[in-house]
Amino acid sequence: MKKNLWLLLAMLTAVIVVISACAPAPPAEEPAAEEAPAEEAAAEEPAAEEAPAEEAAAEEPAAEEPAAEEEAMASTGEGGYLDRALAGEFAGTTVTMMGPFTDEDEVKFNNAIADFEEKTGIDIQYTGTKEFEATISVRVDAGDAPDIVDFPQPGLAANFASTGDIVDVLSFMDVDTLRERYDDSWLDMAVVNGPNGPMMAGVWHRFNGKSLVWYPKDDFDAAGYEVPETWDDMLELTQMIADDGDTAWCVGIESGAATGWPATDWMEEVMLRTTSLENYDAWVTGDLPFSSPEVKNAAEQIGNIWFNDEYVLGGRAGIVSTFFGDAPNGMFEDPPRCWLHKQGNFITSFFPAGAEAGVDYDFFYLPPIDEQYGKPFLVAGDLMAAFSDSDETKAVMEFFSTGESVKGWLQAGGALSPHLDAQLDWYGDDVERGIAQLVQEATAFRFDGSDLMPGEVGAGSFWKGMTDWVSGSADLDTALQEIDASWPSNN
Amino acid sequence: MSSNVGSAKKDKLVGDLVVNVALALLVLLWTIPTIGLLVSSFRDQFAIATTGWWTIFPHREWVTIKTIEPGAVERDQPIDVENIRATFDELREGVQSGDKRLVWIGNRRLGTIQVQEQEWTMNLDFTLENYQNVLTGKRYEVTQPDGSVKIEQGSDMSNAFLNSIAVSIPATVIPILIAAFAAYGFAWMKFPGRRMFFIMVVALLVVPLQIALVPILRDYVRLDLNGTFLAVWLAHAGFGLPLAVYLLYNYMSTLPRDILESAFIDGASHFTIFTRLILPLSLPALASFAIFQFLWVWNDYLVALIFIGATADTQVLTMRIAELVGSRGNDWHLLTAGAFISMVLPLVVFFSLQRFFVRGMLAGSVKG
Repeated sequence: MKKNLWLLLAMLTAVIVVISACAPAPPAEEPAAEEAPAEEAAAEEPAAEEAPAEEAAAEEPAAEEPAAEEEAMASTGEGGYLDRALAGEFAGTTVTMMGPFTDEDEVKFNNAIADFEEKTGIDIQYTGTKEFEATISVRVDAGDAPDIVDFPQPGLAANFASTGDIVDVLSFMDVDTLRERYDDSWLDMAVVNGPNGPMMAGVWHRFNGKSLVWYPKDDFDAAGYEVPETWDDMLELTQMIADDGDTAWCVGIESGAATGWPATDWMEEVMLRTTSLENYDAWVTGDLPFSSPEVKNAAEQIGNIWFNDEYVLGGRAGIVSTFFGDAPNGMFEDPPRCWLHKQGNFITSFFPAGAEAGVDYDFFYLPPIDEQYGKPFLVAGDLMAAFSDSDETKAVMEFFSTGESVKGWLQAGGALSPHLDAQLDWYGDDVERGIAQLVQEATAFRFDGSDLMPGEVGAGSFWKGMTDWVSGSADLDTALQEIDASWPSNN
Repeated sequence: MSSNVGSAKKDKLVGDLVVNVALALLVLLWTIPTIGLLVSSFRDQFAIATTGWWTIFPHREWVTIKTIEPGAVERDQPIDVENIRATFDELREGVQSGDKRLVWIGNRRLGTIQVQEQEWTMNLDFTLENYQNVLTGKRYEVTQPDGSVKIEQGSDMSNAFLNSIAVSIPATVIPILIAAFAAYGFAWMKFPGRRMFFIMVVALLVVPLQIALVPILRDYVRLDLNGTFLAVWLAHAGFGLPLAVYLLYNYMSTLPRDILESAFIDGASHFTIFTRLILPLSLPALASFAIFQFLWVWNDYLVALIFIGATADTQVLTMRIAELVGSRGNDWHLLTAGAFISMVLPLVVFFSLQRFFVRGMLAGSVKG
């Protein structure tokens, strides 16, 4: 009996060792493949050998680095890495990528780049993980960085840029080409401090619009409410809905370990609408402290709405305990229990399955508070940064700077394109087309401030401080001071 | 005399009853979350979001029997409806008369007055959709340039399940093999520095594995081991060894010295003693450590993520389940089914090794 147990275990182990050695494991499997049958190993080898050979071949023309750079500088199109890739020069190479796209986003991303892969023969291997932030730091520290990394928070990219891990985009693409492809605001947002002064950390691939308020259109119209044009109109509407016996706002900021982030979005929106862009930028870089009157004023504006139990479904106490994805559910009950919900365009993926855009729900631009600050728009997006200076990586990077790289995704829905050459009719979804139009009409746009702040603040104390304040466990001054105190001292 | 015996018996019976009822209550309390999860895994997302899982049990609920359109009644005056006069605010709260209740659903501008009665109901709308999504993969609708919709089938669970097995079994067996030899050495062989080495091993128990991730990964990259199963086996073996050695040492050192001595006198070598005597006698300890280690590796996310990565063909079950929630956590309801599917194998392992487990729990705790 006991012998059998051991025999069984031993056999299981042996079987697994053999199976896993034969399995289509990554090319790095070699050392473990020793026990694999010879033909398996042989089958695996050609592929592995091919790659280095190709790489070597591809590297040769680029051996004179300065010449290649000049070439790229001299012309916008021909001779660029993208054109060389399209000519098939890098066929057979592999570019590894890593980022936070998983599940549906990953499918759509792969779908959008499939055409490019087919045309160029470059295999883009994308690995998406839910624990992207934790993994990427470990991988880079260990010297195992992928070729291209997709950063949803430029603040994190800035950390790697300062240590010299990221290849400056300007070293293989010239400014004029980039200007033709992006609005200057986008380019400015990609500039970070490198080891030798300012550098461009990456190119923008897709973005999300944030300054949107969603409402249940059919009921909204039936009740005779009107879309507000100014902040005061919006407050009036809020009061009107309260007088009618309902709560106007659906607000939820619970998000597990990231609880509080929707509150930081609100702060950023109100900051953009109550103070100058310079002050916003200063706030994001830490020069304008959280305890300054500008930031405090923004928080108070939010408190006026959030802390009035007649205005928010579930009241102040419900805000912290409502999952951000469940928050809009109240709009879709019949009749609605709350009527307004401010959230980025991605929230539509949380709406009930049958909800139809333009009928069951629609959106409007979160109105300006003070006219002198125009109609600013808050965005968040994905920055593609190169960790390798191989030619095929540069070609893929250049590809990401064109609207073509995200076209398939726009058609499938779930993304917006920051590229100037992207057409509005590429959008497969009217809502997203409308948002893209809003962004084009915006007087200015700024990146989600918490994503730009250092991780300790933007993905830590800012969330926590807002949560403490909303839940009532800290008053506003204490919460803001605590956020200030957490700002890394080297700044 | 006899009545005394009878009352003693009675006392014992009452005592037993109290203990058993208390135990049953504790067990119930302990398993309620799991039962709730199990029930939820058979309900669809909307049902989970709107009603509790306990509504599957019979309960009384207000059910609308009649809906009245209020029309253009003045909302600010008391309203006469169904022989009741109430203001709008009272109606919003619900006005009860007899066994009926009147509720205004909606706000002043929209909405209806509903007449409700209490009825016994059960929510028995169960679905297998969650399990289907988890087992066979989610289906994604991707709109193509020409406007048609392509359905992409997401990856199913079988690959991840096999990967998890491929990681877990060797990562359980390897540390046991090494630790059994080491524990024997520490317990029964005399060599210089034995105490010091043993203290070093025990000291390693307190080293958190997170601090070792970067250095180990660096070495793996240099050895070109990263991304292989071997890498994660070795990592798990290394992280599991200190506890394994300590646990097995404590158990083996309690084995009666006489048995070993008589074996020595009969001319047995250390190796013979180890394989013929120590291993069979240590089976409970080995089995209980195997369970610990297997569960730990099976449920591990971090080590696998760092050393094998998250690509579709190498990812383990925990990663697959983490990805089930969707890009932004919108499919959280699938976690219920995912949890139960990932639980199956550990349960099988636990129950098949369970008879060793109770004995093994005492491993090393009582020294002879």
